[in-house]
Amino acid sequence: MKNRLKVLRAERDWTQADLAQRLDVSRQTIVAIEKGKYDPSLTLAFKTARLFGQAIEAIFIDETDVYTTNSRQMRGYHPQKAMIYNGL
Amino acid sequence: MKDSSSLESRTSHNTKQLALWTGLWLASLALVAFGPTFLWDYHKVITIVLIWVNLFMGYKMIMANKQHLEGLDELQQRIHLEAMALSLGCSMVFGAIYGLLEGVRLIDIAPNPSNILFVMGVTYGIGMLLAHRKYS
Repeated sequence: MKNRLKVLRAERDWTQADLAQRLDVSRQTIVAIEKGKYDPSLTLAFKTARLFGQAIEAIFIDETDVYTTNSRQMRGYHPQKAMIYNGL
Repeated sequence: MKDSSSLESRTSHNTKQLALWTGLWLASLALVAFGPTFLWDYHKVITIVLIWVNLFMGYKMIMANKQHLEGLDELQQRIHLEAMALSLGCSMVFGAIYGLLEGVRLIDIAPNPSNILFVMGVTYGIGMLLAHRKYS
């Protein structure tokens, strides 16, 4: 799973230790999440989303979703067009 | 304790508690092991009382260890889980074959169960190192 933690942290000029303190986790956990070596639990993901004031999916990106969306778009499927077509 | 304090202070408190009860458990174990020989000349009542004291200290140490693990953050808990999995697996495999060595006449001495504790400790340490490297 990819994430935008490093970017969001940099925007606020926070160190990894600052973010770790705000999320009540160790700095090692922040390092591991930023490097993509560890996927946080849903609880921690929600906590992170609340801290940054963003939706979970705006911070954590499931690579399977990216792959599926790209594959569909390559085959001519466009989600927005599909929604309009389906009257949503 | 987990919700009301920061990770750092929580871990510090829980580590101190764990060290305290582990120390008391070890001291009571040493008393049970050496007391009958050097202090009270195999007096049964004193030995039995101290065995109960040792079991109580052991219970408190287990609870302190549980509290320590629960106080850690989720990645630290995972690191401990992976170390425990390695330790448990190795101890089981090593213990099973070690118990058979005398029976199949590969060694002459009776297997000592405390050797399993040594394997558990070493493999737990190795497991912690490997997991720390994996997530850093």
